[in-house]
Amino acid sequence: MALRDLTTDYAGRGAPMFRLALKTGALTVLTLGFYRFWMKARIRRYYWSAIRPGGHPLEFVGRPTEMLTGFLTAVVFLAFYIGVVNLILMFFSFSVFKGEAPAYLLSFIGLVPMFFFAHYRARRYILARTRWRGIRFALEPGVKGYVWRATLWWLATILSVGILWPVKTFELEKYRTDRTWFGDQKFEQTGGRWSLMGAMKHVYLAAALILCGIIAATALDEPVWLAASAMGAIWAVLGLAYWKAESFKRLTEGKVLGDAGLRSHPRGGRVLGVYLLGGLAISALLTALLIGLAVGLGLVFALVDPAMIEAGFKDLGDLANLPAWVATLFALAAYFAMFLFWGVLREVFITMPIARHFAETTEVVNPDALNAIRQRPRDEFAEAEGFADALPLGDGI
Amino acid sequence: MSDGGSVVEGFADYVDGETAIIHRVALRLSPDRLTLIQPDGGSEDWVADDLREVPDQADPSMLVLSRAGNPVARLYVTDGEISKLLRRNAPALHRRPPIENKPRIAAWGLGAVASVALIIFVLVPVMANQLAEFLPPEGEKALGDATFEQIRTALGREDFLPVETCEDPAGLAALAKMEARLGAAQDLPYPVTVTVLDHELVNAFALPGGRIVIFRGLLEMAASPEEVAAVLAHELGHVVHRDPTRDALRLAGSIGVLGLVFGDFAGGTVVLLLANELINAQYSQAAETGADDYAHALLTEAGLPPSALGTFFARLKDEYGDAEGIYAHFSTHPQMTARIEAALEAQTQAERAGELKDPVLTPAEWADLRAICGPSKPEPDPKIPGNSKGEPSRLGRG
Repeated sequence: MALRDLTTDYAGRGAPMFRLALKTGALTVLTLGFYRFWMKARIRRYYWSAIRPGGHPLEFVGRPTEMLTGFLTAVVFLAFYIGVVNLILMFFSFSVFKGEAPAYLLSFIGLVPMFFFAHYRARRYILARTRWRGIRFALEPGVKGYVWRATLWWLATILSVGILWPVKTFELEKYRTDRTWFGDQKFEQTGGRWSLMGAMKHVYLAAALILCGIIAATALDEPVWLAASAMGAIWAVLGLAYWKAESFKRLTEGKVLGDAGLRSHPRGGRVLGVYLLGGLAISALLTALLIGLAVGLGLVFALVDPAMIEAGFKDLGDLANLPAWVATLFALAAYFAMFLFWGVLREVFITMPIARHFAETTEVVNPDALNAIRQRPRDEFAEAEGFADALPLGDGI
Repeated sequence: MSDGGSVVEGFADYVDGETAIIHRVALRLSPDRLTLIQPDGGSEDWVADDLREVPDQADPSMLVLSRAGNPVARLYVTDGEISKLLRRNAPALHRRPPIENKPRIAAWGLGAVASVALIIFVLVPVMANQLAEFLPPEGEKALGDATFEQIRTALGREDFLPVETCEDPAGLAALAKMEARLGAAQDLPYPVTVTVLDHELVNAFALPGGRIVIFRGLLEMAASPEEVAAVLAHELGHVVHRDPTRDALRLAGSIGVLGLVFGDFAGGTVVLLLANELINAQYSQAAETGADDYAHALLTEAGLPPSALGTFFARLKDEYGDAEGIYAHFSTHPQMTARIEAALEAQTQAERAGELKDPVLTPAEWADLRAICGPSKPEPDPKIPGNSKGEPSRLGRG
């Protein structure tokens, strides 16, 4: 009997996520960053549990303490690299090139393989700590092959001025997927090397339009052609949203797990909508927050020293005579509040809606094949995602 | 756990952590246990004390249970009444698993702290000291120029324009006369460039490559041109000893490491600056004393009173107090009392040798120097808090 395809429910809600992110974010700021491992674990548990293929939630079982240990491990290695190598590079840069730019460049180039390394290892940790239906996911060790492939494909992408981006995306995803397991069943990424090119078509056309507009405007000396470039820019934004949805669809549907598979139909328009509306909501709320802070400050003054407020309103210039510590305090409070709320609102208005859309449009095909899958042993992997944590990888969860 | 000792029944989804099969099991909730009954009749008891809720679940209508001692099996309870009873009565639903590997975490923590400390306090300073000796003069100049622009921008006002340099011709001439009188360039492989910045900070510092920066605030605070000359001599001491070059190289090494440790969160910036201050202070007390000694010798040689450095410090001390206690940690300078005494001692020696000569500037030239930033300005701009008051002078390197 073939079971019906498993659709995915998404149980994440804005209000609980807001509370969770705000609470853990505030604790992170207050503990000078050391709570962030606990924050990460909790927020991931929430996000994972929100995704429920066939009604059964994913589970993230990573422990904050192992993330902390992994981070400490990475710090020991990276501190040496960053401290000593940066110093030497700075020295050579100034003694040979008489400037600091080469040092930054060399230092960055030296770090690039480290980024790929960190990325793969973080993926390995996250998959090893993800379960569904009680069964562990896993990523095989294989970071060496990933680092040189990633370096090569990124180089090819840069040399081709970005045209090969879809190929790079596919090749790296294939390398990772072909080493991913669900229990004792291996995933396979099908679809060819060029299969994502079509997902990028709008971006290519938009880039061509922008370029043509600039060439025409310069060659004919008629700035009106720049209108074509402007149209191209708008098209490019739409095209990127299409790419995000379509590349996800093609990669997801290309993933095969034994006899089971995936189907996905996300919409670029929805992705764009989330970014636009989310961005709007975030800016509005942050503005409101700043105004609120200013009003709060005013209230404090009104309570402490009403005369000062009165004087301030009579002549706005007098406000500049506020004691230095008040201004500093206000600036600090505003800075931390903005930083904190920016992170929290981004989770609520961007990350979660995007995750919701991708989850709800993805189905497991032929799920009865899953019943043959058995558990795999735990991947201890003590380093966790320490390197990704120490290096600013910047890909959120 | 059920109320009143009765048995409540229902159904739930169960995974055993061995296969990916979802088992639909019947539940029997008794006062002290939860019994799972498989479709084939087999049953399993989960005693009340072993029941754990998997935390941070997005779906509030589903209770995800695990059993202490079994890391993989899960029970997905959607039955409202059973969930409610379990949440109300299960005694250890929220008990956390004990933290494993505590000694291991502690060992790694200590190891990380020790190695970062070793790198920041030993390895990087030692390497910076060695490399500073080998940096060619043009390299030093490039380093100094880059730092100078950064500092100008950092001190900029709310319009984000860099702070102006002061270039009144008469003032520049007076400054040049002072430099010539000190004549320190003979010890250096590059010309000395003295710049006055239009800023009310009472401060001066040296940068790599012979660049010395004096703030307008310092010119206004000094009572005589000899005091300015003394400060200049002190900064020349830093340049000759290559302290700023060492500093810049050490900063290049240590700031990245500190950034690594504290991560990219908001408080990190503050901690970073504070930590760097501390490192600086630990490191350079000897450098300050060295620069003072150099200044005393240079002033004596130029026939100027070394005590001027002392009188200037005395004025700073009256204004801001001596840096003592916790504050002394964050001050790059040895306690001022000691420095004032050292300056007076040098003065006594210079007087005994009869080496004191004419004043460094005529009164007219002194007036010109003080007006190098244009006609004297009103009180410091009140829109920049914290700079004019409260901040002790950090006479030395920036």
